[in-house]
This record gives sequence, structure tokens and C-alpha cells, in this order.
Amino acid sequence: MSTLNTIEPFGEGFISALCPELILFAGLILLIIVPNLGNGKFRVPGTQTKLYWLFGGKRFKQTSDPRLPGWIAVLTLGAAFIQTILSFQNGVERTAIVSEGGTQILMVNAFSRVFELIFFGALTLAAFASMNRLDVKGIGSKISSEELYNNRRQGDFYILMVTCALGMSIVALAQDLFVLFIGLELASFSTYVLVAFFKETKSGTEAGMKYFIVGSVASGVGLYGLSMLYLWAGSLQLDVLASTFAQSGSEPLPLIAIGFVLVGFGFKVSAAPFHFAAPDAYSGSSSPVAGVLATASKAMGIVGILRMLLIVAAPESSTDGTVWLVCLGLLSVITMTWGNLAALGSTNPKRMLAYSSVAHAGYMLAAITAIGAWNWDNSLAGNPSEAAIVVLTALLFHLVVLVAFKLGAFLVLSVLESDGGASKLSSLGGLAKREPFLGVAMFIFMISLAGVPPLAGFMSKLLVIMGIVKVAVGDMGDAISTGSELGLSDVHWVWWLALAMVINSAISVYYYLRVVVVMFFDEPEEGRSGPLPNGWQVRFAILACLIATVFFGVASDKLLEICEIAAKSFNYNWV
Amino acid sequence: MDDWISIPLVAFPLISSMILLGFVSNTSEKVRKGLVKPIRMACLVFSLLLLVLTTGMFFQYFGDVSWMDIQFNDYEFYATYPWIESLGISWTVGLDALSFPMVWLTTLLLPVTIIATWNEKYGATYFPLLLMMGGALIGVFVSLDLFMFYVFWELTLIPMFFLILKWGGPERKYAAQKFFIYTFTASVIMLLGLITLYFLQEPNTLASAGTMTGRSFSIPELIDSARTANIGDNWFLGKTMQNILFVMLMIGFLVKLPAVPFHTWLPDAHVQAPTGGSMLLAGVMLKMGAYGMFRLPLSLFPHAVYHFQLALMIIGMVSLVWGAIVCLGQTNLKKMVAYSSVSHMGVILIGIATMQPMGWAAALFMMFAHGIISPMLFAVCGAFKHHYHSMEIGAMRGMAKHSPWLATSMMFAWMASLGLPLLAGFVAEIMMIIALWHMISIDGWSILWMVGPALVLALTAAYYLWSMQRTIFEGGDETQPPVSLDGHPVPDISDSEKFAMIILAFFTILFGVMPWIALDMMDDWTQQIFNGLILFVGKGGA
Repeated sequence: MSTLNTIEPFGEGFISALCPELILFAGLILLIIVPNLGNGKFRVPGTQTKLYWLFGGKRFKQTSDPRLPGWIAVLTLGAAFIQTILSFQNGVERTAIVSEGGTQILMVNAFSRVFELIFFGALTLAAFASMNRLDVKGIGSKISSEELYNNRRQGDFYILMVTCALGMSIVALAQDLFVLFIGLELASFSTYVLVAFFKETKSGTEAGMKYFIVGSVASGVGLYGLSMLYLWAGSLQLDVLASTFAQSGSEPLPLIAIGFVLVGFGFKVSAAPFHFAAPDAYSGSSSPVAGVLATASKAMGIVGILRMLLIVAAPESSTDGTVWLVCLGLLSVITMTWGNLAALGSTNPKRMLAYSSVAHAGYMLAAITAIGAWNWDNSLAGNPSEAAIVVLTALLFHLVVLVAFKLGAFLVLSVLESDGGASKLSSLGGLAKREPFLGVAMFIFMISLAGVPPLAGFMSKLLVIMGIVKVAVGDMGDAISTGSELGLSDVHWVWWLALAMVINSAISVYYYLRVVVVMFFDEPEEGRSGPLPNGWQVRFAILACLIATVFFGVASDKLLEICEIAAKSFNYNWV
Repeated sequence: MDDWISIPLVAFPLISSMILLGFVSNTSEKVRKGLVKPIRMACLVFSLLLLVLTTGMFFQYFGDVSWMDIQFNDYEFYATYPWIESLGISWTVGLDALSFPMVWLTTLLLPVTIIATWNEKYGATYFPLLLMMGGALIGVFVSLDLFMFYVFWELTLIPMFFLILKWGGPERKYAAQKFFIYTFTASVIMLLGLITLYFLQEPNTLASAGTMTGRSFSIPELIDSARTANIGDNWFLGKTMQNILFVMLMIGFLVKLPAVPFHTWLPDAHVQAPTGGSMLLAGVMLKMGAYGMFRLPLSLFPHAVYHFQLALMIIGMVSLVWGAIVCLGQTNLKKMVAYSSVSHMGVILIGIATMQPMGWAAALFMMFAHGIISPMLFAVCGAFKHHYHSMEIGAMRGMAKHSPWLATSMMFAWMASLGLPLLAGFVAEIMMIIALWHMISIDGWSILWMVGPALVLALTAAYYLWSMQRTIFEGGDETQPPVSLDGHPVPDISDSEKFAMIILAFFTILFGVMPWIALDMMDDWTQQIFNGLILFVGKGGA
């Protein structure tokens, strides 16, 4: 157990501990103020003098550039991202932000920092790419009211991006269920509006409505579950809940409560049967936002599920606390199969990527099931915490590299959306001829999603399978070499989850290859031949994703180390 | 010199081809047209460099190698570098008598393929893709780490997918996707078997064990620990587990070989692929399955191979006979050659299943000989397509009159493939038959097992001779050229195609008349496995 520093809110050390979040907050303030700087005056009460207070009035020319909010947001998110990376340099010290009376509100450790990497990375890339996706007209020209409207919306979009990042990082840091819920809702509300942002298109509004309603119901159910936990345990602190669960976890009330909470988080992760809003939401929103939903939002849901299932309802703590294990295993198989089969039938690329997201959620749920099975048999299981750490490392690695190729695929679709729509498979036709860079990039993203070596997608899938098999096989090698005859019937049943995952990977290759075939083989649609719209920001983001996908396929050692440290810091009782 | 030389063998073609591809794809159409010739020449030069390297390795110009003295699980040009330490993955490469002939074969076939398709109007990305294919194939054969092996195994799928997709026949979309998905599915099942094998090791016993997992992916170390465990009646990993893992690994290799009933991807892939793709696919890629069978199941799970020996023998016989019978009924020349490949791969499987040193040597030599002969077969088919614009057997007749070079090459290739003595195919087939006789006379198998190969010898001669008669000799009106030419003048094969045929014919004759050049090291190695494995396992006597 490493030492724990405690910090009072706004006490000493507060700024260095929460630096990325404070950067986000500062950026948020800038986003609200800077576009509104003008020659506003206010009259001092009781006199006739007017003083400048620079807020409102006729806006200054330099600061009302409609491209400025985008740059502020990208720089803010990028600075937060870099600050998070830098905090790994000297090792992340466990630091808890504690209120008076000793309740832990937030905890900064390697685990939360890795998740912040995921959130900030995804949002930076998406914000950067949105600079080409949201139409902007230059200032000073004679522009129509519609274009003026688009210019004015820039600030809104980027404010929502930054609040989303802020909410997500609070979820990663939270140690108290109430704070967790605040962060969750902050991020969720931002995503609801982001999904509905393009209200000129019918599909945008519809997607936003669906996502908002379903999401609110899910959050409501989750909140109900949290309140039942409070009712049962008397506290909202995670460690108090864990110890109470260890003693009396087999009562019906906490089990029902955890079930309800899982519904709320399951929606976020797009696990079946809570995933019905996901395909519509992804296909109706603009592609960078859909990419954020698929990567960062999913990671946020996984944080919640991990905290619930592994800290609160920890499998080692009660003998029949693993009642959720079988449920989760079944759920993961249903999710991955449903996602893959539905994707086979989709011809809309964004919908197909949404269903592939559902399938990936299934793989991650299988990994979580494996963690839960870590202590399955005293004689064969081997060192259980070691196995749990391997699976958790794999899960974290998977979530990090998912940002690279999943968001990258959505960004390529984003360029196509600016070109005239990406809602049919034929929109991708002839992309390799029109712009070879985008064709090759999409090809690499697709085969990485399928799990073809030597890319990051293969590495992450391999690691998850390895983690599951490690838990299932445990120390059977030792037992066999000392003479016992053990076969597949003796491994833990999570091995069959690994087999299901492998077969589902093979199924998924079909729809990923279909995209590749259309890009390289088919002719472009009517009126869409020739180069695609300009925009260096989105292409730069795609290039960054491409480099990351290839790099983490061949040289993943450093990232694996970081993920291992994060996994170890997740539950100090394991180390 | 010794230890690093296998790295440029793999890295050089892969990296140079990717650089060429990246360079070519970012140029405009006009510039690209002008780039075809320089890139073609560059790819030829790079592949010749590789051939010089491997030939020098054979003749011991690089390093002090004695190919005859290699022990089992002992590798020349061995090098190991840590790659992902937390998982026990290292970049381990090495060559032995199993992999070196395959590597040399690949480096021979690369320039020959480029020369044979020199005049095809395929554009500037075709030749770098062939080079990339060669690099990935060499990677499979030199890698001695399970992770690396799997990475290169799957990496070979990508260039072949593009070769079929971009320059293939009319059904290329279907064929390319079927090829990729079918073999990928089998490979992921093999992957799950490999990972289960990985975790069944005892933790922290192998030298290159990972820091996080305590196990290692290194093949030589695994084989060593398997050897010490597989003594007498003791099965490595226990009987049940060994059988299950054997089946899982074999699924991947049987589909790649391909063995009936998992062979259905091959005719589609071959018929629709362009000539260069078919030459590499049949020449080297199919042998990956057989190579895998030797490298992994045979070395790690010898008990299981005995357990399933009957099943393997049946599958091999069925492939042999089925492939031959189906060939008789084909009217498409390329499809006929594709099914004959299935039949010859059945010979390899039978050779492995005999569990005799001579049978294994037969399988190894067939891998090698078929690797020289079948590219020639496919080059002939490609020349047909290119010059006669048709691949139906009845479409061209009296070819000996119109295109004597093509007719001679076709006759030579056909004769070599059916196993004419003094050509390389014969050596492999006769050794397989002798090994079968050993099995029948010494191990007591029924003599009825001889019926299959005997039948197939006759059938093979039948379909080859019949197709030859219909195309080369039967003339109809000798002054009437084939219909598919539409009145154009009758062509003969171009100079570059002639050159490629001559090279392949030369090596077919060389290894038919002097097979000991390759066979000596193969014989030696298979005797080593037999002594080092099977006798310990307590079986076999010959």
C-alpha cells in the first residue's frame, strides 16, 4: 500500500494535484468570456460616468473571430492531455482530496490518470477535427444570417466539449457516489446536446431526442440504485460500501441496487440490452461527436462498472457475491454476438461502427467477468490478484488504443460528411482513388478493429484474450506437470467467453472488409469524384490516430507498463 | 555476421515495399504512369539481392554454417532481442533445415514472379505488393517466437487480399473476401490454442519469461520443455489438454494447407487471383500450413499426432484422391491446376501422417518441389490468359503449331507436376510411397492404404495428359487459330515469360537429377526429430 497524501480543497498542493482539471476550468472561463469581449460600458450607479468593463457591447474584431473558440478549446484540452502525460513522469502519487470530516471526495492515482488520458485524448482529437466539420465563414465578409448563426454557435459547441471533459475527469477521480453521479451527469448532458447539435438535419434532432430520453431514464434508474445503496449502507463513500458489502453483501437490497446501477452504466457502455439508443445516436450525430461517444463515453461507463463491481461488490469479499458473474458473462456473450450480427446487416457506415462499438463493449464485459472469476478455485487458480491485474491491464490498454482507431475511423467519416454525407456505404466508394491517404488510413483502422496484426487493435484483443485465458487456466500448468489429468472441462468457464470472443472477431472481419472493398473497388458516387474538401486539422488528427495505431501495435511496451501501474493502483488490496 | 543476417531478410522487403507503396500512392495519375518502370526494376533488384543473400547463406559464404550438422531444435543464424518484456515476447529468429529451404524458395520465387509478370499492365503498386508478400512469408519462416509467428502469419493475408482484389478475375470481390475471412477464422482459433498453451506453462521456468505473466512465447524453449515432458507414456500437458490443443492448432494449419474439407477457399482464390498472386500463393503460402504442422504440433505434441494418426491419414488420402478426381472434370485450366495443388498438398499430409523419417522427408521435399513446379504451372496459365484471352481448355487447340514456346513450357510443367522421373516432383512422390510401404509392412497397416496413391498416380496422369492433348496437340484445322483471339495474330510468350519458365525448368531438373542438394539436410533433420522425439515417446522402430 503506497502512502496516501490528503489535501484539503483549495489547500496547499491542490493546484498541482488537480492541474488538468483546473486547466479545463480555466479554458471554460476563457471560452465564455473571450468571444464576448467588447466595448461594453456600465454606468456607475448614482453618477453619469460610464466605465468600460469590456464585457458585451460591440465585440472586438480580434476576439470575435468565429474560429477562436475552437482554438481555445483545442489548446485547453491539449494542455490538459499533456499535463496528464507529464504527471506520469515521476510516478503518480496517490493523492486524495478530502473534505472536513475525512470523507474522500476525489482521488488522484495512476488509474484515474490513465482514464483522463483517454478522455482528453479523444476530446482533443474530436474538437480539432470539428474545426473542419462546423461551417465557419470568415469575419468581415458579407455573410448571410444562416452563416452568422453558424459562426455564433461555435462557442456553444466547444463549451460543451470542455464541460464533457470536465465531467468525465470527475467520474475518473470520484471516490464518493454522489460526486461520481455529478460528474456522470455533467458529461452526459454535454453529450446529449452535442448529439443533437446539428438540428438542421432531421436525423440530428431525432438522434438527440432518443439519446436524451433513453439516457435520462438510464441515469434515473442508476440514481435509484445509488440511493438504495445509501439506504442500505448509510454512506456514499466507496470504501465504506466495500466493507459493508463484505459483511452483508448477500442481502437482496444491495444486490438489487447494484443491478440498477449497472443498468445506468450499461447504457453508457452500450451493452445489450441497454444499447438500443446507441446506433441511432451515433448515426444522427456528427462524426467527431459519435467518435467521442464511442471512445470516451464508453470508457466513462467502464470506470463506473469497474468501481461498482470490483470495489463495492468485490468478488473476494463474499462467498455468493459472485451472483453477478454469470449474469455478466451471459450479458457479454449476448452483447458481442448481437453487435456483430447487427453490424453485418447495416449498410450505413456510422451505424455499422455503432454496432461494432456494441461488440467491443461485449469484449470488455467478458474481460470484467474474468476479473470477477479470479478467485474461482483455491487449488487451481494460482495467484488471483496477479490474474486480475493482467486482465485489468489488458482492459485499460484496449480502452486507450480504441481511441486511436475507432475515433480515427469516425474522423475519416467526418471528412466524407463534409463532402456530402456518409450515411450510405456507397459514400465511401472509390475513396482510395479520390484521396489515397484517407483510403489507406481507413483501411488500417478497419483491420485494426478486426484484430489483424501488427496493429494496435490486434495487440489489445490479444491482451484481453490472454487475460481471460490466464484467469481460466490459472495454475493448471503446475497441477498437470505434477501428474493430474486436466482437460477443458476443468478450466473455468470464462475460457468459453474467450472462444466466443475469438469467433466473434472472425465474424466481424466480414463487415470491416466490406468497407475496404468498397473503398478500393467501387466507383465513387454520382457527382462525388475528385478530391475531398480541404481541411488540414481533421487530416492531422487522422494522421495522429494512424501513427498511434501502428505504433502501439509494434512498440506497446511503454503503454503496457503504464497500464500495469494503473491496474495495480486500482485496488490496493490486490497488490 | 551470423546472428543478425536474418533480420534484413525480413525487414528489407517489408520496409522497402511499404516505402515504395507510400511513395506511389501519393502521386498523381500522370506521374504514376511514369513511375511503373523504375519501380518494377527496383523491386526486381531488391528481390535479387535477397536471393543472393540466401544462396550465399546456403553456400556458407555468410557465417560458418554446417547445414548437415544441425540438431533438432538447434538453429543457425539465431538471434534474439527482447521486444515486449512484460509478456515474454522477443524477436527471435533462426533457420534450420525445415525453414531454410522455404526461405530460399521464397527468395527464388520473388524475382521469378516479377520477371514472369514483367509485361502485365498492372500499374506501379503491383510489384511492391509482391515484395511485401515475400517479406511477410520470409518472416513466417524465420520467426521462432509464437507471437511473431502469428503476426507474420496474418500479415501475409493483407498483400494477397489486395492482389486478388485489384487485379483479379471477374469474381475477385467474392474470392478475396472468402480467402481472407476463411483463413482468418481458422487462424484465430489457432491463436486461442496458442494462448492456452502459453498459459499452461509453469510460471517463471523458461528463460525469457515475461515480467507480468511469467511465461514465454519462445518456440525453442517451449520445444525443449515439451521434449523433457514427453517421455515414454507421459504426455506434455496431460493427455486431454494435449489432444485439445493439437486439434485447435491443426484447425489453423489444415485450413491453410488446404486439406479437404476445408479447401473450398483455394479454387476461388486461385482462379480469381492474378498470375503473380497465384504463383506466390501456390508456391509458398500453402506451404506455410505444412511448415506450421512441423514446427508446432509435431515438435510439441508427438503423442497427440499418434493419437490422431488415423484421422490425419484419412484426411490426407481424401485430399489426394478428391483433388485428383475433381481435376478430371474441370474445363477451366486454372481451376484444374488449383485442384491439383489440393491433391499435392494431400501428399504432404500423408507424408506427415506416416510418422516415419522418410515420410517426413517426403513431405518436406514435396513442399520444396511443389514450390518450384506449381509457379511454373500458374505462369503457363497466366500466359494463356494474357495471350489467348481465355482459360477454357477447349478454347485453344493446336497450340504446338501456333506458340511452340508456350506449348513446350506447358508440357514440361505438366510432366513435372505429374511426377515424371528425373524431375523434382518424382522424388517426393516416390519417397511418400516408400514411407507408406514402411508403414504397411513394419507398422502393420492394411495394404488397402496403397490403393489411394496408386489410383491417384493414374488419375493425375489422366487429367494432365488429357488437358495437354486438347490444348497442345489436337488441332482441328491447323491454319485456323483459336476463336478467342478474334482474328488477331497468334502470339507466343514474351521474352520475360520465357526467361522465367527457363529458370523454373532448370531448378526442376536440377532438384530432380540431384535431389541430395536439398534432400540431405531434410533427411538429416527428420532423422533427428525421429530419434529425438519419437523414440523417446516410445514408438516407431524404423
